[in-house]
Amino acid sequence: MTAFVMAWLLQDLLQVLSMGFMLMPEIYLMTALYKIVSGPLLPTRAAAWIWLAFFGGVLWDLRWAAFPGMSGLIGAVSVILLYLMWNRTPAGGRNAPLFAALAGGTHIMSGIVHYLAWAVPSHAAARMFLIQQLLCVPLLAVLCTMYAFRKNDAHV
Amino acid sequence: MVSKLNPVLVSSLLAIFCGLMLMWFAHTFPPLSKVAADEVGVLLSYPERPAFELRALVQAAGSWVRERRGLQERNRRLEMENLDLRTALQHAGVAPPASTSELIGARVTLRYPDAWWKEVRVNRGASHGVAVGAPALSDGFMIGRVVRVGSDYSWIELVTSSTFLLAAVVNDTWDLGVINGDDMGNVWLMFTPPDKEFSRGMLVSTALVGDYLPPGIPVGMIWGEGERRDGFLPRRIASGAHLTQLYNVQILSLGAGY
Repeated sequence: MTAFVMAWLLQDLLQVLSMGFMLMPEIYLMTALYKIVSGPLLPTRAAAWIWLAFFGGVLWDLRWAAFPGMSGLIGAVSVILLYLMWNRTPAGGRNAPLFAALAGGTHIMSGIVHYLAWAVPSHAAARMFLIQQLLCVPLLAVLCTMYAFRKNDAHV
Repeated sequence: MVSKLNPVLVSSLLAIFCGLMLMWFAHTFPPLSKVAADEVGVLLSYPERPAFELRALVQAAGSWVRERRGLQERNRRLEMENLDLRTALQHAGVAPPASTSELIGARVTLRYPDAWWKEVRVNRGASHGVAVGAPALSDGFMIGRVVRVGSDYSWIELVTSSTFLLAAVVNDTWDLGVINGDDMGNVWLMFTPPDKEFSRGMLVSTALVGDYLPPGIPVGMIWGEGERRDGFLPRRIASGAHLTQLYNVQILSLGAGY
């Protein structure tokens, strides 16, 4: 919970710094996805992360978007999809590359939905979308490294 | 298996339902969602303050030399214009009026990507003297008008917004028109006669139409022509301000005369 709040605030502060130049990657959402896979796959825990991702998204929309609810919906759906796919993957197959693929996929999906929701798709908007996706790569690399270390230590 | 998935299933369905309801609510009652957004903005303005200060510091440091040169040039031009006007007033035997207006410096705190050319929020509001209808300027050119005011923030509708309408005049010819945006970053001078010749670079300013906005505030320069519509030929206006990168604005607080 604390990590999620910190991630949300970090994304918010970075967005303030880069407002008008670029869109920050979805740090809080990636943190929620990482938290799902890095702990025990308990349904109650997953349910809590669905709501956290939802409220994080709603708050993000109220701060940065003209259409509240969309990021909340995307956040919740992302956590649900990741949980279901992770749950159906045999324990041996749950590794950092799979997490990177799933989290990266949800990030791209979220970016595309936001891009399509913008009233005026333009070169500037497309550039912002591209930069946002590229900035997600180092974030995913950090989270995957953390996951790999954690898996080695705790055998999750 | 089913009982194990139940909390996830219930939460999933509820979260999706709430998300859809919120989107419907925001679509159906835009003013209410704007109120909620403003409240969140006020709440977050405290933790965000250091980031805004840092941003302003970096921008000021980065553009100090360039902006200083531009400001000196603009100041020189305004002083000359002021001198000419005072001389003209003296020749006409009219005493120069005492100014009761004030320019309030404000920082842009929010510009929605999906309403990029429509509106911006700034960090100055009623407590700083900002009133609804006040013109907002950047680099000496009008970039919009205040449409909503909170205690410590206000929303400015940009000249590029399709709902922005403002009576304007071409300074050199005294032809009247209406400034209007298209939500795509363009500004147009509407309802100008098609047979009228306007030179590129002619200055367009606010016209003396109502008593809520002073005349003579520059909006931009004539830059081209649009497509003939309903017997009129819209003229494309190039704003003198950098509308794409709008970080600091000045709001004209009108004095007792307005």
